Amino acid sequence: MPDDVTPRPESAPAEAEIEPILTVPPVVGAPKPNPMLVVDDLSRSFGGLRAVDVDHLEVERGVVTALIGPNGAGKTTLFNLLTGFDRADTGSWSFNGEAVVAPSPDQLARKGMIRTFQLTKSLAKLTVLDNVLLGAPSQVGERLSAALFRSRWQHQEQANTAKAEELLERFNLAHMRDDLAGTLSGGQRKLLEVARALMADPMLIMLDEPMAGVNPALAQSLMGHIAQLAFEGLTVVFIEHAMEVVTGISDWVVVLAQGRVIAEGPPWKAIHDEVVIDAYLGRRRAGAGS
Amino acid sequence: MDFDIIFGNAARAAFGPEAVILALAAIGLNVHFGFTGLLNFGQVGFLLLGAYGTSVSVATFGWSLWVGVVVGLILSVALAVALGFPTLRLHAVMFAIVTIAAAEIIRILIGSTDAIGLTGGPLSVSFDAGAFYDLNPYPDGPHDRYGVGTFEFTGQQMWVITVGWVLVALVSLVVFLIVRSPWGRVLKSIREDEDAARSLGKNVFSYKMQALIIGGVIGGMGGVIDAIKTSGADPNGFRPQVTFFAYTALLLGGAATYLGPVLGAILFWFLREWIESFLRQLSAEAWLPGAVADFLSGSEGIISVAMVGLTLVLLMLFRPQGITGNRTEMQLDAR
Repeated sequence: MPDDVTPRPESAPAEAEIEPILTVPPVVGAPKPNPMLVVDDLSRSFGGLRAVDVDHLEVERGVVTALIGPNGAGKTTLFNLLTGFDRADTGSWSFNGEAVVAPSPDQLARKGMIRTFQLTKSLAKLTVLDNVLLGAPSQVGERLSAALFRSRWQHQEQANTAKAEELLERFNLAHMRDDLAGTLSGGQRKLLEVARALMADPMLIMLDEPMAGVNPALAQSLMGHIAQLAFEGLTVVFIEHAMEVVTGISDWVVVLAQGRVIAEGPPWKAIHDEVVIDAYLGRRRAGAGS
Repeated sequence: MDFDIIFGNAARAAFGPEAVILALAAIGLNVHFGFTGLLNFGQVGFLLLGAYGTSVSVATFGWSLWVGVVVGLILSVALAVALGFPTLRLHAVMFAIVTIAAAEIIRILIGSTDAIGLTGGPLSVSFDAGAFYDLNPYPDGPHDRYGVGTFEFTGQQMWVITVGWVLVALVSLVVFLIVRSPWGRVLKSIREDEDAARSLGKNVFSYKMQALIIGGVIGGMGGVIDAIKTSGADPNGFRPQVTFFAYTALLLGGAATYLGPVLGAILFWFLREWIESFLRQLSAEAWLPGAVADFLSGSEGIISVAMVGLTLVLLMLFRPQGITGNRTEMQLDAR
């Protein structure tokens, strides 16, 4: 690299991106300066169990938000509601400034809200490369009228393939590009799913326990990559139930317990919150201790 | 025992119009089941509408044969749409039940005595397929035969199977072209996991509907060939086992492959006819004990179908991917 290239100011844009979220008070339902998602009065019950009951929640654009909570807190149900995979009993939400009416998963995905699943949904009998290529948005060749003629989609396919290979490279899957996805290990499937989601050029990516089952070194590099994407403008929400892992990689933490948001704030504040500790470890009995 | 005759019969069945019809039914099923994962147990319904659409147009309404062919294919599309709208959102098993029921309902309605005026009801319908045979380039005198030894066809048969196999080749080519495209990749992703496809922005319902229509029309073409071959249609020719024969052919050849359904259909008819002819010859042998000969004679057809079933069982055990399938792919199912 030539020496005369002016070094890019490294910290300035980062501060510009991160600064606004730090001004937000760590209180439940706090309004955010530039929200990507705004959720109001969202609820969903299964029989007598109120799985999700969120009064107000905003997710800031361009930062990494961690959604944590003990098992059964309603994290995945909240994801399912927001992405259209489940129907809410009450409530409304807006995505990217646009109210979400009659949500359907594929429409939301086409608008830029892409999710992954806790139990990976790798497409076993497609190759690793095809799995990622499936994520490519608006490929003309996915329309039947164009499918018949290779010349109509070949060019786009080549560009997509180059991009897909780059993603596979980043996630250490490049050497397996022609293997069937069904032959991958559990951790590799997680990575494949994230690569596929990123292929879709999302505005908001929602990852359901992306690090479960991934070896720690790879998980670190995965989250490093995601942080980089957030730095470039992607909004990231991810579910995790281990509190420790979220501190290093998230800008904001939302804590869910029994379907309700019980705390939110910057990671170092949120996880030391009294209410959060109670939710994880169980409430201390009144009068115990002395 | 004359193995020349047995072989001739088997070869004629393997390349005759019945194999063409079965191949088309199986190619359609391959689009449904092999590539999209739609468990269609009513494929025979599409054949029925293809055959009756053609026959009734000509016999009852007096339209030209070509109009009839178009009507038959349009009815196949209509069935796909009518079946798809209420059921494609259902679970795969529900879809299977609805399709088998729908095909039976149509067959029973068309074959009912109330429908005599329109479809001939239980009496079957026949028409003049002259418009098709007028184009026959093969001289068709009473002594004209094409083939070698016992493997031979008449001029009329030659014309039907020429058109039939050309159609099979064209349809296979089109299926190959659309399935290897990004469109086909979406189909396969739906087969593997609908929710994954949805989460990436694919309109799953629309793709399933397209697949259902395409596979249905291909089945409908089989029905059209059937109508032309027999110059008519009979409700008894469209019982549910036709669908299961098509599945057998598909699995024999290899589901989700491009040539599998065609090879499977050829092999299905070859085996079935070979066994039947063999048993027929066997039952005439003098050395056979009387009781065995009595048992065999008259039931050769049934036994040969049972033997094809047995072949399928053995195939599932020892080569589940079919003749042309990929074994690694099959093994992923077990994980």
